[in-house]
Order: sequence, then C-alpha cells, then structure tokens
Amino acid sequence: MLMEFLAGLEGSALAAGLRGSKWVYPLVNAGHIAGIALLFGAIAGFDLRLMGAWPRVPQEALAKVLVPVAGTGLCLAAGFGSLLFIVKATEYAASSLFLAKMVMLAIGLANLLAYRLLSRRLAWSHGSAAAPPSPLLLRLCGAVSLVVWLSVLVLGRLVGYF
Amino acid sequence: MNRRTFLLQTASLAILAALGGPLARAASAHHGWGWATDEEFELSGHVTGVKFGNPHGELSLDVKGEAWLVEIGQPWRNERAGLTEDLLAVGTKVTVHGHRSANRDEKLMKAERLVIAGKDYNLYPDRQS
Repeated sequence: MLMEFLAGLEGSALAAGLRGSKWVYPLVNAGHIAGIALLFGAIAGFDLRLMGAWPRVPQEALAKVLVPVAGTGLCLAAGFGSLLFIVKATEYAASSLFLAKMVMLAIGLANLLAYRLLSRRLAWSHGSAAAPPSPLLLRLCGAVSLVVWLSVLVLGRLVGYF
Repeated sequence: MNRRTFLLQTASLAILAALGGPLARAASAHHGWGWATDEEFELSGHVTGVKFGNPHGELSLDVKGEAWLVEIGQPWRNERAGLTEDLLAVGTKVTVHGHRSANRDEKLMKAERLVIAGKDYNLYPDRQS
C-alpha cells in the first residue's frame, strides 16, 4: 500500500520535472541545506542557553529571536526536503539510514512539543537580566534537542554516501 | 568583549579568508571524484537497467556475468553529450571509460565517456578519457 503511494509520488509530473531539471533540483537541495543551517544554528544557541550557558543573557530575549528562526528553518528544511524525497521516494523509503533520520526527526518534534508544554507552565522572570534557572526537565529538553537535531543532520548527510 | 579578544578573532578570520583562495583552487580540480581511483578504467557489458535524472543517473551493466553500476551525469551533462535514455535500452552493448571506485570490492564506476554502437558520448570533454 505504502510502496504504491510512494511509487505514485515518484512517478508524478513534479518528481519527473525535478529529476530532469538542470537548476531546480540543485537549488532545492541548497534550500534544504539553508533550512537545516537556520534550524540547527539557531536551536544550538538556544539549547545551550537552556542548559545554562551565558547565564546573564536574558533567556526570553534569546527565545524571541532564535525560536522563530529555528522554526522557519525547520519549515524550509521539511518543505524542500519533501521535494527532494519524491524524486527517489521508493529508494529513500527502503534506506535504513533515511528511516533512522525520520525516527530522529519525530523524536525532535516530540521533544519540541514537550518543551513548549513545560515552558508554558513555568513563569519567566520578566524585566530582570538573569532568567530563573531552568528546572532539570527544561535543561534536559535542551540537551536532547541538541543531540537529536545534530543526529538528523548527520543521518541526512550519510544517506548520500551509503 | 575586550580589545584582545576582538583582535584575536579578527586576525583569525583574516587568516582563514586568506587560506580560502588556494584551497578553492585545489578543490575545483577534484570535486566529486574523490571516491574513485585516478587511473583510467574501461568496462564493456550489456545494459540491464538505466535510470536517468537528479541527483545523478545510473546505469546497470552485466559484465561477463558480473553486475556493475555506472554513475552517469546530471541531466544537463547527459543532454549536452547527446546521451539519452533510449540509447541505453536493456541488452544494448556499451563500453564505458571512466574511473572505478577506490574500494576494489565495489563494482562501481563513474563514467566519463560512453561508446554505444561505435559512437562516442563524452560527458566530461574537459577530462582525458
């Protein structure tokens, strides 16, 4: 069932167009990388802050900048990534590296959800330069986030080599 | 940040930027060929399968009973050489000139030039093949 659906995607006019293009595919690929760069770069900074780095830098201010940037990166990476995927949908779906990447991606998103739920229940200290120390769970979300998004990045890159 | 940190960081950046030039020159000579050996390699066989398109095309060959995989070019490169999918129908005899994988256990090579029915299809006219 799934394989038929994937084969259908792979056989679509959109996939065929990407496969045969001179510029579009490489640019879509670059767009995927740009999304990854924004996501990982921004979230790494925020995760480190969550884990206690730069304690005098206000966490709320960092969140206002880094979280939207990371979120935009995630959307770009997922959007362009989907286009890259359909070009060889059946082959990628059969790759254990690609599947591992998808599993890590799911964990990353689950962790993101957990963080959002947790942080909503904690009061930020408004107006003071130092944010309250994150409770252990928030620190853990930061650490998990860092490891998981890096894993997604590495697994994604390895797909092209094995 | 203090003055010393600022100066150290700026100096490091300047050095990195200066290194970029010669590194770029060296890199341009070997992009994409790093996994293959330097010597010219030739393979003749019959087509068992072909898939054109991004990220790169692939040709499966039966070479005296062995299954080989040949990487062919990106769509624009194949087009430029006049290489089309219909020229590589299953059963077609083809000779491929290029570079084989440095891993001798792999039956994998990257094509520079293909010869089909006596006609040359050169994917990399700038390279010797």
